[in-house]
Amino acid sequence: MDIPILKIEDFLVVTIQSELSDDEIYELQEDILSRIKDVGATGLIIDITALDIVDSFMGRTLSNIAATAELLGAKSVVVGIRPAVAVTLVELGIRVKWNVNTALNLERGIRLLKRLIEAERRGGAS
Amino acid sequence: MRESGLLAKMSDAETEKRYTALYNAVVSTFSTGKFDDVERYAKEITEGVVLRDTSVERIIGGILKLRDIYERFIFSEYRDDEEMLYQLLASYEPVANNILTIVTMAFVEAREQVIREQQKAMMSLSTPVLQIRDEILVLPLIGTIDSERAEQILEELLKRIVELTASVVIIDLTGVPVIDSLVANHMIKTVQAAKMLGADTIITGISPVNAQTLAGLGVDLSMLITKNNLRAGLWHAEKMLGFKVIRERETE
Repeated sequence: MDIPILKIEDFLVVTIQSELSDDEIYELQEDILSRIKDVGATGLIIDITALDIVDSFMGRTLSNIAATAELLGAKSVVVGIRPAVAVTLVELGIRVKWNVNTALNLERGIRLLKRLIEAERRGGAS
Repeated sequence: MRESGLLAKMSDAETEKRYTALYNAVVSTFSTGKFDDVERYAKEITEGVVLRDTSVERIIGGILKLRDIYERFIFSEYRDDEEMLYQLLASYEPVANNILTIVTMAFVEAREQVIREQQKAMMSLSTPVLQIRDEILVLPLIGTIDSERAEQILEELLKRIVELTASVVIIDLTGVPVIDSLVANHMIKTVQAAKMLGADTIITGISPVNAQTLAGLGVDLSMLITKNNLRAGLWHAEKMLGFKVIRERETE
């Protein structure tokens, strides 16, 4: 399965449309990371609005992607987590090691990314 | 019949009608050996009676009385035929007891139904999620919090965050008398889940006593933003979102 990775200005937007197998998740992770490197993206948004279930593997991978993207110089935000999914993830206790930025929807995600990048720029300058 | 003589003592005309219905149901059971009519009857009276608060005692008393009357009737009819008498009693008694059980259980069931509905109504009343500015929600909690209520609060809050696209949630605990480790852990869970939906949470109104308890429990609250009252919480929330509230003029 091919998941489109869209580029908007300096941001990459990935929308996951359906449940993915573990292999597909791996593949997606590699695609995203190489794309970040290729285009020199400063931000990454992963939209999981369509997902009803996020298991611990998926949760961990999202966290991995975020951490690796950070190393490549891109901030990332996961958007569109549903209430039921949020509860599941909290129950799984994933949040303890889960330092992924989250936002309600795509619009808020872009807003958050801009703020994060701005904050870093200002922090770096001083 | 003798039954009618006894039942006539019940002055209420409606009660009279009910006893007739009961009598019919009982007769039908004895003649058919099936409990359908009794069950239907039990359902009817419990629906009517429980809501209007007519005494359960009277209904059950009536059934017991009818049972006794039938039994005496059987005794007097078959006094001379002992074998027949025993046979009749052996089949009659379980049936009579069963009727009573069915009616009683119907009452219990109806009462429980009422209690469940009231609980549900109370629960939904107890978690108001209010929007006080664009993107700011306030959740004033009042009363003790148990696991079930905590679940419900979490669910309701997440639903409202999505509906109203909130960025900051203020949970005010002024009205919560006791905050133990259970409540604290639920708070942490709620904050984490809200964060996943992109909303930051500010906790306000923890009383000094509760603060001491929490510190003593060793629950890690470092990830929570806490303010001493709702006013301070609101001020902080406004600051986070870039609001500035100023007074335009002095009132006279």
